[in-house]
Amino acid sequence: MNRKATISKKLIKRILGFILTIFILSVGVFYIARLAPGDPLQSYYGDAVESMTTAELDAARVRLGLDGPIYLQYSKWISNVLQGDFGLSLKYKTPALEVVSPLIGNTLLLGGTAYILVFVLATLLALFCARNEDTLVDRIICKVGTAAYYIPPFWLGVVLVLIFSINLQWLPSSGAYDIGKSGDILNRIQHMILPLVVMILSHLWYYAYMIRNKLLDEIRKDYVLLAKSKGCNKDEIVFKHCFRNVAPTIVSIMAISIPHVLSGTYIAESVFNYPGIGALAVVSAKYHDYNLLMLVVLITGILVVSTSMIAQSINEVIDPRMKLKEVPTCRIIESSSS
Amino acid sequence: MAEPVLQLNNLSVSFDTSSGEVEAVRDISLSLNKGEILAVVGESGCGKTVMSQSVLKLLPKTSRIKQGRIIVDGEDITDYTEKQMRRLRGSVLSMVFQDPMTTLNPTIPIGKQITESISKHTRVSREQARQRALEMLNLVGIENPEQMFALQPHFFSGGMRQRCVLAIALASNPKVLFADEATTALDVTVQAKIIDLLLDIRDKSGISIVFISHDFGTVARIADRVAVMYAGKIVEIGTAEEVYYDPRHPYVWGLMSALPSLTKEGEDLTSISGMPPVMLNPPLGDAFAVRNEFALAIDYEEMPPMFQISPTHSAATWLLDERAPKITSPISLQRRTEV
Repeated sequence: MNRKATISKKLIKRILGFILTIFILSVGVFYIARLAPGDPLQSYYGDAVESMTTAELDAARVRLGLDGPIYLQYSKWISNVLQGDFGLSLKYKTPALEVVSPLIGNTLLLGGTAYILVFVLATLLALFCARNEDTLVDRIICKVGTAAYYIPPFWLGVVLVLIFSINLQWLPSSGAYDIGKSGDILNRIQHMILPLVVMILSHLWYYAYMIRNKLLDEIRKDYVLLAKSKGCNKDEIVFKHCFRNVAPTIVSIMAISIPHVLSGTYIAESVFNYPGIGALAVVSAKYHDYNLLMLVVLITGILVVSTSMIAQSINEVIDPRMKLKEVPTCRIIESSSS
Repeated sequence: MAEPVLQLNNLSVSFDTSSGEVEAVRDISLSLNKGEILAVVGESGCGKTVMSQSVLKLLPKTSRIKQGRIIVDGEDITDYTEKQMRRLRGSVLSMVFQDPMTTLNPTIPIGKQITESISKHTRVSREQARQRALEMLNLVGIENPEQMFALQPHFFSGGMRQRCVLAIALASNPKVLFADEATTALDVTVQAKIIDLLLDIRDKSGISIVFISHDFGTVARIADRVAVMYAGKIVEIGTAEEVYYDPRHPYVWGLMSALPSLTKEGEDLTSISGMPPVMLNPPLGDAFAVRNEFALAIDYEEMPPMFQISPTHSAATWLLDERAPKITSPISLQRRTEV
């Protein structure tokens, strides 16, 4: 009963924290977007804006909710959002939600696949390097990995397109699927290979190196000596003993890395013209498409904050010592014999 | 007479570092009989730990056995491969370390850490391993072993953790246990209990123990024989009685006089002046000579050999040479012998 109460209390605390974070984020982005130089009417009317009178422009501003002080604009926006109305996209002239919703799936597919691949490969690579610490293979992987990490992703993307799409014509250079083949998994995978390669190469070593060093820290710890002295071999020590203690760290790194990988997805989307919200975010910021930008920011924010909260919960399951501010309930009283 | 379970013959261990060779252990010979507790005493950095870890080959790759033989249970293991060593570790040779707060894996339940040690060396079913682990927990004096079995180390106090470490180390019935400062990190009452436990286990199982410590008080409670190390060498070795009541090496005199219990009220505590030498290019001759108020000229030139005082007692100091002036141990020590 008591346990249930603390859990629900914690849950409420987390949800409140979540809402507060998203609120602060939306206020911040709202202000920054509106304070940035440029005119959203330009993207709404295109070149026609040149020939409009001041009165017409003012009327348009009122109609689009772009008039008045920013805090009033914000309160109007947020009351609409709470009713499920995310406003009109100024660039596409359709409701922002309709612009975004078909693209979310594409981004989640690409980003999610990249995210999972990056961490599975990084963990495997880190385990391999830590297991073979200071051997020739480990040193070669370290050097190559560092070099690969510093290749700029946009340049790499262009080079890959040049080699595999233009010269060899093996893989498509852009898009998420060929026209009429949105349900064809094979076709989608073909389109994802190049963006995935770029994303993996530009993230893999960063995380593999981090995990490798964490593992090496663990290998230097005292409990490894005890494990060794009871007859464990190197594989058991690295995979069973040390990995277990690094796992919570990996989960934390994974949680923190979501924005990093997501921004990588956005870059890859832009380079490969992959229709996703990343490419959309760039476009909406460029055209001062406030409503669209806010929606993309909200989605990104919710994704980032909620996943990091989930990661925290997973951490607590893996390593009970990580429980935040928990009263030490079950510390066993020193037995009378010791 | 039975063969000793552990024998070190002229063992030297060095570390290759970027600034040169560090001679951590120099020409150590000792033997350990079944059921015997040998205490190795010395200042920090004198090579106690390196000596014991070199037997289990737990030292980093920068170390190497320069010379000498390690013989365990009649078998020369000096050139054993890592794979062969793995079979010995836990089942023949085992080790307990100084800090019980860090030597247990924090995320693996105690029970599993013990059963791992058991199933490494014997073919047993899960249930059998569990039973054996519970027995071990019982043996080392953990109450409610069934309950404790599934708990992670952070539920345990320092003393209980050291008991768990002992349970792990003893789970596969090793013949020799190295207790490397096993009681140093514990408070005094817990220390005494762990020592009683070690003695008890020795009596029950006939295990031989190498008890490494820098504390003469603790050693007096547990040791059958005592070896005193200085600068990587054994300077004096003998039965506990011989070393405590009839020490011959000036270094041991110094250590003994430094015991607070030998100091009369109002007197300052005595200490040995100076610092132990750095083992990178160790000095020629007796490494202790510069701190030795009784040093002879030859001490600076030639390393003293082991002089046999009795069949069990020997010490490495030129003072025992027949040509040396007769010097008796300091007054404060004689004071105790008279009591």
